[in-house]
Amino acid sequence: MAEFFGTTVADIFNTMPKRFKPEASKGVDVVIGYDCGGEGGGKWKLTVKDQAARIETVEGDLGPCTATIIASDAETFIGVTLQKIGAIDALSQGKMKVIGDTRMLMTLLPQIFVQYTVPAKKTEVTARGILSAIGERFRPDKAAGVTLKYGYDLTGEGGGQFTITIANGTCTLKEGLDADLAVKMTMEAATYVGMMTGTIDGAAAFTSGKVRIDGDMMAAAATGKYFDKYVDPNAEEAEELLSLKKITSINQRFATGPVMGKWFAGLREKKLLASVCPVCRRTLILPQEICQFCHVRTKEYVELGPEGYVTNFDLVYFASPDPLSGEVRDTPYACAWIMLEGATPEDAFAFEIKKEDLPKLKIGSRVRPTWAEKPTGSFRDILYFEIID
Amino acid sequence: MKKHDKNRNVAIIGIGQTTLSSHKEDQNQVEMVNEAVKNALADANMTLDDIDCIVHGNMELFEMQFQPDMWHALDCGSYGKEEFRITTGGTVGATLVCASDSLVASGQYDTVLCLGFEKLQEGNTTGGITNMADPLWFRNLQTGALTSSTANEMIKEFGKERVLRAAMKYRIMIDKHAMLNERAHRRLGLEYDQLENLMETSPQLVGDLRLIHMCSQSDGACAMVLTNEDRVKKGTAKPPVWIRDHETSHRGENMSNLYGAQKPKSTHRDCAEKLFMRNGITNPLEYFDVFEMYDPSAFWGLDWLREFLLLKDDEVLKLMEANEFDLDGKLPVNPSGGVIASNPIGATAMLRPAEAALQIRGDAGGHQIKKEVRHALASGFGGTLWTVMLMLEKELNW
Repeated sequence: MAEFFGTTVADIFNTMPKRFKPEASKGVDVVIGYDCGGEGGGKWKLTVKDQAARIETVEGDLGPCTATIIASDAETFIGVTLQKIGAIDALSQGKMKVIGDTRMLMTLLPQIFVQYTVPAKKTEVTARGILSAIGERFRPDKAAGVTLKYGYDLTGEGGGQFTITIANGTCTLKEGLDADLAVKMTMEAATYVGMMTGTIDGAAAFTSGKVRIDGDMMAAAATGKYFDKYVDPNAEEAEELLSLKKITSINQRFATGPVMGKWFAGLREKKLLASVCPVCRRTLILPQEICQFCHVRTKEYVELGPEGYVTNFDLVYFASPDPLSGEVRDTPYACAWIMLEGATPEDAFAFEIKKEDLPKLKIGSRVRPTWAEKPTGSFRDILYFEIID
Repeated sequence: MKKHDKNRNVAIIGIGQTTLSSHKEDQNQVEMVNEAVKNALADANMTLDDIDCIVHGNMELFEMQFQPDMWHALDCGSYGKEEFRITTGGTVGATLVCASDSLVASGQYDTVLCLGFEKLQEGNTTGGITNMADPLWFRNLQTGALTSSTANEMIKEFGKERVLRAAMKYRIMIDKHAMLNERAHRRLGLEYDQLENLMETSPQLVGDLRLIHMCSQSDGACAMVLTNEDRVKKGTAKPPVWIRDHETSHRGENMSNLYGAQKPKSTHRDCAEKLFMRNGITNPLEYFDVFEMYDPSAFWGLDWLREFLLLKDDEVLKLMEANEFDLDGKLPVNPSGGVIASNPIGATAMLRPAEAALQIRGDAGGHQIKKEVRHALASGFGGTLWTVMLMLEKELNW
């Protein structure tokens, strides 16, 4: 099929049912014949009656028509339809002829059909194409003060290796993988394209092992924010979904009460105080007013520790921001459950372990607290527990 | 032991869910709630006129919207009706069903609609969970719900290689189930031949707990219509699913006791023992045809199966290794994909009995178990140490 102005005669007729406006064709009763000569031409017949349009191809004679449009070649027909060639020019040059009422056609057709437009060509989206234009999406304002070198190792069809360097407010791309990358992301090229065009969820791809991250995970997660979002040229324009952003910040002040008050007062003297159940003799730490097993009030207090051993611990690698301060903690860090000396077996005490001691932390490790120089009766009075050998 | 006799029997006759996904930006909270309510009413072939009371719940700290039931009054159908609002943390969805069951059984209301929802993407889940910790002290130590303590304990008991393999196998099995459930949020397409690779490459979050093991954060809502035996006898649009019994266990232990040198009995085992003893269930593994369990991570999934099913020693690992929790296994676990696949927290624990009821009805679609499901078990869990279990039956014959 011969193409002119990026489309074909057949496409103009094929889209007619979709472009038809029934509400504008009340009372219209016409049969229009089309005869287009040359390569890519043909004959079509349009029947509009009872607010419905029917289009059919015709072999041989068009038969009786209210009006007939004859074009010498496909280029003229398409050009006139797209208004790239003036209809009057084509008519006067004899490249187009109308049998019947020209004025009627010129007013009626635009009224009952939406103007034909050339369908957008699908642009092929490739990983290489997206990456080669990465500089255009770079946001120097978001990357102020950032120095980061990261790489993509894209496998499979359309793959390749790329290093992206962000420094001094600029972004450069080069082929190949540098040795000093902060992080390298390995995936199939198709996965990268899917993530950029929004058909693949990045987090899910990562979780399921389709994307492998070697190096600084936080850096990998941050790369997105230095760039404008990639816009898929083939994506249909969607309705914009608006969301409202709010930050809630609350100042709080909690009364400690007499029992926890005792605990905090103990900290000031570098003492870890437990309350004691008068029935089962459990040492409750942190101290509580009631033994939850015996349902009786505790009255005595006893000092535990300071040394103890670890029963279980969480060694945290994932740097989730502290929701209370908004700060991202240094990883790894560990919170351990500790059986303090003098404690009954039901009750462990939890605290953080000294960072330098993490490599040797295990269940059973013996530990002791390191105190702040001047305890004030707060959580910060204990700096950490350290491992003693 | 206290009896749980009911004044009258109660059945689930309508189940509505939204799809469960990471972002529901095309709906606001009330619209999402409304979708679940409409789906539940349509499933029951009822209108709001048939509903006497609404029971509404979620975890309001997550979206920081205090009394969301007031915002939802029109969309959840509570306007002009009696309403209860319940918040019991992660287990709220299950508590909503238990409360609705009790409200109908008592005779106070004939037909009740319960609703659980969460839009986790609209708030800060880790912040919400951290703020549940005691503000005087433990809030300073807690960051969300990530922990490897269960993995540590299992490894100590059964050896590292065996436990890590079983946990990853559990994770892949769950994903295979989720792939059959088109409503599920995370459907990754994992295969068993990825097991060793994932054990090595999935990023470590805490100790041996890796990203792949952990549950998702989802948006979604679930609603159910419960009614009494007399109403059921007049005919229902879908087969009724009977709520035989439920039990809640939230004893006095705190985290300090959980990690002491002498561990208390878990609330799961305590809850299961009470529920099964009261109902004469001596072998839960044999009795139940499906178990929809609240499984926030692969390690918890495995460890908690042992507690809920009252298994001994390494029985749970043996069952896992022999594929007995698959859809065609001895006791299919979480055909829906469970909590690891989809976790809109306020709805999560209601989705467990909802999915179990769909299995009994034979209405679960792609993830329907092939053999007949007559007896179903569902569980909910929330922080800290709060367990709910429900027993559902196809026939009113116990």
